[in-house]
Amino acid sequence: MNSVNPLVPQKVTLLEIAAETPEIKTLRVAGEGGAPFDFRPGQCAMLSLPPVGEALFSITSSPDCRDSLEFSIKEAGSVTRALHALSPGQELGLRGPYGNGFPVETLKGKDLLFIGGGIGLAPLRSLINYCLAHRAGYGHIDIVYGARSPADLIRRAEINKRWPAAPDTAVYLTVDAEFPEWSGHVGFVPSYVSELAFTPENRVAVTCGPPIMIKFVLKALEELKFTPDQVITTLEMRMKCGVGKCGRCNLGSKYVCKDGPVFTLAELKTLPAEY
Amino acid sequence: MIKSINKAGLDRLWERLAAAGPLYLPVKEGPAVLFRPWAEGAAAALDVTQATVSPKEIFFPRDETYLKFRREGEKLALAESGTPAGPAIAFGLRSCDLRAVELLDLVFRGQEPADALYGRRRENTMLVALACGQPDPSCFCGAFGINPADAPGADVMAWWDGDVLVMEARTARGEALFAAAGELLQESAAGSKPLAPATAEFGLPLEDLPERLKSRFYDPAWDRLYRGCLACGGCTYFCPTCHCFDVQDYGSQERGERFRCWDSCMFGRFTLMAGGHNPRPTQKERVRNRFLHKLQYFPENFGRFACVGCGRCLRSCPVNLDIVQAIRALGGETVEQR
Amino acid sequence: MAEHHISAAAKIRAAVAQDLLSGRISLLLGWEKGHFQWQSRPLFARDGADLERLAWDSFCAVNLSRYLPEELKENEKVGVLVKGCDSRALNRLVQDRAVPRERVVAYGLPCPGMLDAGRLVEAAGGWPDEIAEANGRVVLKGGGRESEVHRDSLLLDKCRHCLYPDPVACDQLLLAPVGNREAPDRFKAVEEREQLSAGERYAYWEKELQRCLRCYACRQICPACSCRECFVEQEQPRWLGKAYDASETFLFHLIRAYHVAGRCIDCGECERSCPVGIPLQELNRKLIKDLNALYGPYEAGLDPEREPPLLTYAPNDPAAFTEK
Repeated sequence: MNSVNPLVPQKVTLLEIAAETPEIKTLRVAGEGGAPFDFRPGQCAMLSLPPVGEALFSITSSPDCRDSLEFSIKEAGSVTRALHALSPGQELGLRGPYGNGFPVETLKGKDLLFIGGGIGLAPLRSLINYCLAHRAGYGHIDIVYGARSPADLIRRAEINKRWPAAPDTAVYLTVDAEFPEWSGHVGFVPSYVSELAFTPENRVAVTCGPPIMIKFVLKALEELKFTPDQVITTLEMRMKCGVGKCGRCNLGSKYVCKDGPVFTLAELKTLPAEY
Repeated sequence: MIKSINKAGLDRLWERLAAAGPLYLPVKEGPAVLFRPWAEGAAAALDVTQATVSPKEIFFPRDETYLKFRREGEKLALAESGTPAGPAIAFGLRSCDLRAVELLDLVFRGQEPADALYGRRRENTMLVALACGQPDPSCFCGAFGINPADAPGADVMAWWDGDVLVMEARTARGEALFAAAGELLQESAAGSKPLAPATAEFGLPLEDLPERLKSRFYDPAWDRLYRGCLACGGCTYFCPTCHCFDVQDYGSQERGERFRCWDSCMFGRFTLMAGGHNPRPTQKERVRNRFLHKLQYFPENFGRFACVGCGRCLRSCPVNLDIVQAIRALGGETVEQR
Repeated sequence: MAEHHISAAAKIRAAVAQDLLSGRISLLLGWEKGHFQWQSRPLFARDGADLERLAWDSFCAVNLSRYLPEELKENEKVGVLVKGCDSRALNRLVQDRAVPRERVVAYGLPCPGMLDAGRLVEAAGGWPDEIAEANGRVVLKGGGRESEVHRDSLLLDKCRHCLYPDPVACDQLLLAPVGNREAPDRFKAVEEREQLSAGERYAYWEKELQRCLRCYACRQICPACSCRECFVEQEQPRWLGKAYDASETFLFHLIRAYHVAGRCIDCGECERSCPVGIPLQELNRKLIKDLNALYGPYEAGLDPEREPPLLTYAPNDPAAFTEK
């Protein structure tokens, strides 16, 4: 064999599968020696379940967690449906890591504002836990997270207890509408961001969520005078190869799988808005 | 080293060369010409200017299995698989085809991670280029600085001198072909080496085109250009530089295989996400992406146009929507061009 | 191009200009020239300047009706130039409820039959620089050669077997009718194939279909392929695999042939559009021939009031539902 085929997955075992919401489950997988590879927060991997297929997901666990990898997955198509139906012990395929990941080095010393919506918390969580594990390297951390309803919020142990209890960290939760069991903030994420009036000084905003949320979050941040290079987002596209060759995920000459999925708003402004 | 063979002896040459591995030749199938492994009785269509479908399928086949799986209960066995790509010969590629191979190399071998499937075939295949004596009116390789009569990168460069096929070995691999052919080839002088025939150039404004296109993404000219597009995948499949692919599984819960196969950015589902969002929702975005990939994005990434002027889209698009039209519509200085 | 064609294009322009400029239609679907004399591409004319580019010659093969469903999303009323086959395509789309007839103005162009670029090259011994037509003959000049051939010998296959070159059910006929044609050889290839054994037929089609690129040009241009989502694209369940495998390719072409059976207008656009020249119309003609034999003569798209045989319930249906 001349070279290793990058499309061939390695084998991992599903250790744990837990329902986060009616549509989202978190899968924890590991190879024989724990996490099958090192990665940076924000990178992705291709989960593989033959004969259904493969799909790319962001790794939601922190790189510091070396015994396994976690993926929070929303049911949307055939692969995610099949993944949701798995039980612990099941073997599946995995390849990666793919993409650039968040710029953990350039974020050092900055105050961080995380803005997530729904399943969009998954890639942010990897970075949040990384920053909390390397707490001294980063400034104040604010986390604004929302979903359609209280039942749609994921990682509840973290958003309700662990993160608010972490040093110099604040968590702001919101849901789109009134619910009897919800006593917290009601309203869309972008307007909550405006309401909280974060200042741009020495702060970087990192956002991920549904396209429509991202669109209005970017607008809100612009109004709060964040400059385009102070705003970071992570994109999702249909992908097949993960290595910049199959042709699906390009924005102009950049491939989301390879050059992304993390882009600053300044970078995105130079690229076609085909995402 | 230069050798030659009379046209009448070619069938014996094919037989000899094909003994060691697949010998891909342009072969007529119905009205089309495709590169196919030579089989007894097959006639090589060496007189045809252009194969209908580019020879890229020698290195990047329409489909290719690379993984087999078996499942028993919780256990999943994954094993690399696929047809071994032993030594092969691609005979009769044109200069434009060779340039296209160079461009595909940039994608599949020139950037990490290298593509093993492509790489194996490419490394094991000898390239025999055939000079183009008479480009047809759709050929415009000259616009991309390609000489139809000479193909850099070929192991062997061949040209016709009347009924005699003259061959010049340019690499050790090429000389190995001469050795394999043995007494079937005669010692030869270069004879009358063909001059570069002129090709159409269509007056294309290629200079600084990638730079100019940067400001044309939202140009209304795209609205007019795309409308005729049928949204078939023809252009992407016969084009020598298109290389989009899909990965698919086939089989039962217990066993099956994974293969990659050609796919087309002209298809609506190509970028459709499982949740229903499509970042290129209409044919306009798809047509724009395909042409800009060739004319702006690829040059930005690799410093080369991803078009070789082979003219296949000019010949074969069922509604005559081709890259020359795109360059003319978007490449000029004026914003409002018809 | 022949004199009568130049004047014909001018005549067409004049006839449609009023409707386009007055706003009766907001778009006219026609043809314009491509890079070469033997090429035309669809023209989407919105104003007088666009109309200047309108062409009508022996190379306007593309069936424009196919663009109607999409263009009617953006335009209240669309004008379309229709040859005989195109007009039957329009009827077909109307019958399939893919196009509301009242939102289309069909301008009829009786068609002399379109020419095949491949045949021109053969006849001229190379690509011609100049193509001139007069009195049913074509003069081809180029490369120091000149040849004159009978026009009929250069027709596209699809036009050789055309029975109805004059448009049907158009709103306005723009040129003089050319009259119905005879096509005695229409089913010749089908009959030849019928003489083969099942094994030989399979071998024939296996050879023809092995070069299929699965580009779906045949489907995309077909006026009877009006499904919003083709079974090819359906993923749950996935009916058709994407491997280039004889069984998958056969499945696509056979299902398509059966799905358009009784609705295929025999325009031959599938075969003309096929980049690798698969004789697809043989499949469709086989079904046309069989349907004619089973349910009586029927020409799809000819009469918009007459439903296709396989969409009709008739108590006196001549064929039993089950046969031994």
